[in-house]
Amino acid sequence: MSNMEHTASEAPLKTFSCQLCELSSPFTYHGQKPPNTRAIVLLEECFVTRDPFSPDREKFLVLGSNCSLCGMRVCAGSDCSIFYTKRFCMRCVNKHLDQFPHQIQAELAKKKQQSSRTAVS
Amino acid sequence: MDSDRRRDSRSWDWDSQQCRAQLDEIFFRKHDYIQAGSTEHREFWAFFDRFQRFKTRRDMSGSSRKEGREEERDQRRSGTGKVDLGLPKEYDARYRINVSVCTKDVEERLGKSEHRGRQRSSGPGSQEISDCRLALLHFLDFSQRQSFGKLAKLRREQKNLPIYQYRDRIVELVRLHSVVVVAGDTGCGKSTQVPQYLLSAGFNHVACTQPRRIACISLAKRVSFESLNQFGSKVGHQIRFETTRTTATKLLFLTEGLLLRQIQQDRTLAQYEVVIVDEVHERHLHCDFLLGVLRSLVAERSDLRLVLMSATINIKLFSDYFSSAPVLQVPGRLFPIQVTYQPIPPEEQASRSEKLDPRPYLRILQGIDQRYPPEERGDLLLFLSGVAEISTIQEACQIYATHTRRWIVLPLHSTLSLAQQDKVFDIAPPGVRKCIISTNIAETSVTIDGVRFVADSGKVKEMSFDPKAKMQRLQEFWISRASSEQRKGRAGRTGPGVCYRLYAESDYDAFAPYPVPEIHRVALDSLILQMKSMCLGDPLSFVFIDPPPASSIQTAVTYLKEQGALDSRGELTSIGSLLAQLPVDVVIGKMLVLGSLFRLEEPMLTIAAALSVQSPFLRSAQHNPDCATARQPLHSNQGDPFTLLNTFNAWMEMKGERGGGSRKWCRRRGLEEQRLYEMVNLRRQFKELLRSHGLLESQYSTSSGGDRGQRRERLTERRKLHQLKRDHEQQESTRRKVLKLEEGEFSSGSGSDTEGAGKGKNGKERSGQNVDIQEVKFKLRHNISELQEAVTVSQDLSSRQQALLKLLICRGLYPQLALPDEHNSTRKESEQVFHTRNKQGVVIHPTSVFASDPEVLQVPESDTREMGPDRVDSSKHQLLAFVTLLETNKPYLTNCVRVPALQTLLLVANSICSNADCTRLVVDGWLELELRDPEAALKTLSTALTHRAEWERLLLAQLGTSTMGGQAVQGVSRKVTEKLSEGLVRYLLYTEVSYSLRRLTAFQTQNLYIGPQSESELPHTNTPGLSALFPGAEAKPDPIKGGLRVTSFFNYNCLADSKDLYSECLRTFWSCPNCDLYMPLTPLERMQHEASCRPAGEQQQTEEEPESGKACSSSMSSLTRVYHCDVCNEDLSLTSTEILKHKRQHMFTTN
Repeated sequence: MSNMEHTASEAPLKTFSCQLCELSSPFTYHGQKPPNTRAIVLLEECFVTRDPFSPDREKFLVLGSNCSLCGMRVCAGSDCSIFYTKRFCMRCVNKHLDQFPHQIQAELAKKKQQSSRTAVS
Repeated sequence: MDSDRRRDSRSWDWDSQQCRAQLDEIFFRKHDYIQAGSTEHREFWAFFDRFQRFKTRRDMSGSSRKEGREEERDQRRSGTGKVDLGLPKEYDARYRINVSVCTKDVEERLGKSEHRGRQRSSGPGSQEISDCRLALLHFLDFSQRQSFGKLAKLRREQKNLPIYQYRDRIVELVRLHSVVVVAGDTGCGKSTQVPQYLLSAGFNHVACTQPRRIACISLAKRVSFESLNQFGSKVGHQIRFETTRTTATKLLFLTEGLLLRQIQQDRTLAQYEVVIVDEVHERHLHCDFLLGVLRSLVAERSDLRLVLMSATINIKLFSDYFSSAPVLQVPGRLFPIQVTYQPIPPEEQASRSEKLDPRPYLRILQGIDQRYPPEERGDLLLFLSGVAEISTIQEACQIYATHTRRWIVLPLHSTLSLAQQDKVFDIAPPGVRKCIISTNIAETSVTIDGVRFVADSGKVKEMSFDPKAKMQRLQEFWISRASSEQRKGRAGRTGPGVCYRLYAESDYDAFAPYPVPEIHRVALDSLILQMKSMCLGDPLSFVFIDPPPASSIQTAVTYLKEQGALDSRGELTSIGSLLAQLPVDVVIGKMLVLGSLFRLEEPMLTIAAALSVQSPFLRSAQHNPDCATARQPLHSNQGDPFTLLNTFNAWMEMKGERGGGSRKWCRRRGLEEQRLYEMVNLRRQFKELLRSHGLLESQYSTSSGGDRGQRRERLTERRKLHQLKRDHEQQESTRRKVLKLEEGEFSSGSGSDTEGAGKGKNGKERSGQNVDIQEVKFKLRHNISELQEAVTVSQDLSSRQQALLKLLICRGLYPQLALPDEHNSTRKESEQVFHTRNKQGVVIHPTSVFASDPEVLQVPESDTREMGPDRVDSSKHQLLAFVTLLETNKPYLTNCVRVPALQTLLLVANSICSNADCTRLVVDGWLELELRDPEAALKTLSTALTHRAEWERLLLAQLGTSTMGGQAVQGVSRKVTEKLSEGLVRYLLYTEVSYSLRRLTAFQTQNLYIGPQSESELPHTNTPGLSALFPGAEAKPDPIKGGLRVTSFFNYNCLADSKDLYSECLRTFWSCPNCDLYMPLTPLERMQHEASCRPAGEQQQTEEEPESGKACSSSMSSLTRVYHCDVCNEDLSLTSTEILKHKRQHMFTTN
């Protein structure tokens, strides 16, 4: 019955939360080499958790990271950040849009159009 | 870039299995992130094919290069005056991936590839390796995006819940106040979100109670998923038979009853920081009680936080109960619902006896068909009061549905098989609507998606308790406004809906605002017992949120006294405190204790479990002749508990023999297998409880043994089973089926008799696709060979064991006894009438074996002697002991056992009064027995007294030792109990005394007793040594009834009849069979002598026994039992396995 006795040993879960969309979720690892990823290396310092949608408990999920320019903590969602050799938050992307390749610019323009359309309807 | 050229030069085929296998050895090895053979691995190669196709298409259009150049130009243009991000000049989708894969293996192969590629004509070259790696990177990126997308969606949904806005407010309130009420309607998200808000705010040990077990499981699953540790153990559930709780559990969903049990053990609930009580507005008995207990606990533990969650019903009541606790009200999320009142016209209103008129209901179906095009989806949910009503309306609707082909009609109520219930969740084909006809089960317990129309009859059948007759009553009532709104709300869960109310708006206004809380409707026995064991003082002064009537509490206290759970001062007895620990009815608990005392625990465990769950016999199969035939061998004319015992044993035996296939076996007999699984679980729980209370010997050490090979085999088997269970759980969610148009037709017609057939078809379909998960769980949970051992023990009960078992059941059920009416022999089978002490003219429920076979209850004519107009003497009178008295359209007795009247009454009754020569006995003030022969009467009574004294002594010894724990069963030696059971059995089976049995009339009970007498009239009062002869009782004058109170249950000579005043003159010469005494004695003196004078041989016998041939080594003897072999015509002492061997031996010889 005393299964739930207070355990002080366990560190409280740290929470990742996106400074743009406020998405928040506890993370289990921050860095480039999450546990049990073997040959896989992350190219940026990421906030990582176990992938809750995979039946395999060893799979990881990147929640987000810090913008390489302004340092803002952003989630990996395409509304909040882009990874292009480095992580850029959407604010920095928009500020320096001209330095991004044409493909990315086109993609963002298209998305903007779409979102404004759904906002109207 | 020049891949095409190189690929041509070498024999590499991406589609070849061998080539892929070679890459598997580089990228998907055993220790890699993705292993060959896993699901991800399969997904990767599927992805790879898509990826290659995409690349080829893009390469052919040749667009990538051009764009790259453009981009360079772009960058040049903008360069000055700004930060240079240092982005690569040429676009490559690869740059968008934040993952890389590098192993020594891959690097080496890529590095060496220049020469190695030429050396080997086959095998992956550097190009293939880098192609594969690129694809792998894209695959990893793709899966990351996919999972992240799911997470984002989940978070979005959480944010969109109405309660999300109040997140901080809730946390703040809980921090500041010890009690907070959160009120929110359906769909606001309180049950899933509030616990999470509290956890993430730093609260650590949170318990959240639910009224239903199923909700505990599904909420724990959902919350664990939402909090992203689906495979961790921070969120768990705990219900009666299963728990996922671990030391890491921070949030536990559990039933109200279970939390109460925890309080019994851990009074201050120190294990929790926060207790959330959900659905308090439902006002279940346990919930009301729990609130009362928590109310005083909060005052005591200032650090405990209590959150009550409720629908927006009667919120003030809860707030006021907890000294004006703050209330946070959250709007629900319901779509608009249009309400139409369509009161049933008088000519279509059914009178009490008639069947329901289906026309008003058919009009609703027609109206929907006329008004809404079939393409517009949306099902109809129809609320009726009960099963009979459902089948009437179902029948009519089915005819309409068959005709229009636009409806599938499905019933929903708790007595349906689970497979049948499950169908309401399946999907109707396009253009067809489901018409679900349900009891109030769909109001809260079962939530069905896709309902757009609700038709509400406004009626409900509810169980109420009549404390006077000690009877459950199922009656039809108008629902409350709260229920009415709840039913309406079911139409607006997924979109705007329509609600048809089959009553007038003025009716609605006249409804009670809220349903009657359970505490006002049911028997409070278990509640009071639990309160006593929690030392909550006088139940009458306990502060309930809405106190039950005092009479109801008083009835329960009286009942518990009658049952021996409370003593005369209302304090717990030792058996009472044990019963309070058992999560079952008091009567069932008593049976378990008695069963263990007489070492009949195996059959008793099964019977107790069977009587605690819903009957496995499906009502609908009763009229199916095939089922009836198949069931026949299971029937026992001893009574329903024995039929249940036979059924369970046969099921277990079949499971052992054939393993699988039990589903089919059950279907053929019209049995709901789920109930049998519940029984086996409950049985095990009982066994553990008895064991932990020292009432059973601890488990034989051999059962888990076996040699190493067997153990390993079991282990592999278990692993396999665990895998099956996991697999099943994963695919569980994705299994909604599309219904066939004919689906409803199977169960139309009489609405009941064809259910077996319809279900059979469906069931077979399902079983073909997946494993029998119940069977898997069963095998994981239970040790089958041990269970079978137990079954063998209870299977071939000798008639002696059966007689004893019946007595024990009866002592458990006492005072729930019924007397057959004296004119039953002249009545038709279906018109047999019985009387209980408080209720006359009750009948046997049609599901009982005695309903179809009432003759066994009648006194055989050969044995009777007419003594007058109203008096039939016989030695074969019988009584029925029953589990429940339930009134629906008639008062019914359910789960009955027949017992010999005189013997049973003398052995179990709480009050026996006699006249002076003991030829006239009145039991419990309502049954009168007249024995013709005074000599025999005295002997019968005296023997009963002796047995009872011994029985009581052993029971107390057993309970006394058990409460101290440790070495328990030592307290009562095997020999002593065997001797008592031997005596009881002989008494039950061989007492051949002719007597009459009848119920006293009201007039007779008025002048029953002599009444108080003065000292001088009572010559026996001060007889020295009298009290010593009857241990635990002093024979003293009874101040009310008169006569002498000899024991707590026996009053001598208090009946007012002609002989009463001359008892002193009733001395007759008598010689004691044990000693040489021969003298004139009064009946009382004689009984006293008999009680103290043990037969001369007895002591000797007990001393001799160890040396006699029967006794084996002590460890063996605990496993053996007496088995009477008909072939050898001998009583043998054998273990269960030896019995089987012995039987087999005869099989071969007789063949």
